[in-house]
Amino acid sequence: MSLTVNKKVKGKTLILKVKGVLDISTVHVIASYLKEIDHIETLIFDLSDLELIDSTGIGTILNAIYLSQEKHFKLKLQGMDELTDNVFETVGLYQILEAMQGEVN
Amino acid sequence: MYKYRPTFTQRERVIDNQQIMDNMDKTLQREINLARNIQMQLLNGKTPEFEGGEVIGSSLPARLIGGDYYDFYPLVNGKIRIVVGDVMGKGIPAAMLMILTRDAFRRVAEITDSPAETLTSMNQALYEDLRTLKSFVTLICADYDPKTGIFTYASAGHHLPLYINGRDKTIKELPKVSGIMLGGLPDQVYKEMSIQLDEQDIIFFYTDGIVEAQNKDGEQYKLERLVQTLLENHKKSVSEIERSVMDSIYQFTQGVPQKDDITMVLLKVSKQKNGY
Repeated sequence: MSLTVNKKVKGKTLILKVKGVLDISTVHVIASYLKEIDHIETLIFDLSDLELIDSTGIGTILNAIYLSQEKHFKLKLQGMDELTDNVFETVGLYQILEAMQGEVN
Repeated sequence: MYKYRPTFTQRERVIDNQQIMDNMDKTLQREINLARNIQMQLLNGKTPEFEGGEVIGSSLPARLIGGDYYDFYPLVNGKIRIVVGDVMGKGIPAAMLMILTRDAFRRVAEITDSPAETLTSMNQALYEDLRTLKSFVTLICADYDPKTGIFTYASAGHHLPLYINGRDKTIKELPKVSGIMLGGLPDQVYKEMSIQLDEQDIIFFYTDGIVEAQNKDGEQYKLERLVQTLLENHKKSVSEIERSVMDSIYQFTQGVPQKDDITMVLLKVSKQKNGY
């Protein structure tokens, strides 16, 4: 299982384009990017090349939502396929994001 | 060229270190096996028996121990409270959180009036711990009343069980009731829905390890195969249906190592009870 992250910075926006499998064996890759976050206004997770996400991967997105509160930035999720979108909807990830940030992505 | 030659004392030290490592491995292995036994005994507790139906549950961890969870709690009012859940992650960390979840369920099951109240109380009890541990749990909780045939359910971020109508032989997901994962947000108030079950109706609870089981080509078992297996076997007893689902998964995966825990719970209304 592999995961690559393409990092782009546009002004105060950080875009992390995630490609591959986001699971228990690869979440540390995302965690290391989250650890570095400082002085940004927006973090965008581009998940258009995400092949699979497991519960640990969802946990990492959840932690990024909580980090956005702590470090005062906006988090946006984009590019999810139908399956991932359904999973996020079922577990309540969008509802949590909405509650924390006051708007749905 | 310099060549490292350990002295006799150094060689002895290397052997000693190896023995220490071997002993630690054996101790760790023994403790993991003990933890597995504890978890399996807690999971495979007494299955409630009641007039007018039958239930069964089974769980197969992907590793020695796992994070899936199911439980039955016979309430004083005669209802059976059922819970099925999936803790984030795998292995030992997930197993520890599974025990925490089980404890919370057992503590609140009798003092809460409904599945939604149970989930609300569990989220209150577990939220701080789950946030500290950066984890979450998805759960479905349901009450079956054998006297009336009414089945009431609530979800905390878990997909809905399948409902097999014994009369017209159709399978569909239970009507949607939403609710977020435990550990997602504090002060959540969960909602619930109820349906009337009739003779031969089946409710099939499951975790995603079933539909995401993979074969050697990387294909997933998927919901379609599960539905087909349930349609082919719905007339059997709950234990036979459970076996049929497991056999079907084994047949599909053909020995490919299991990646995720597999858990299912079946409730079948086997005969009409007087009064409903």
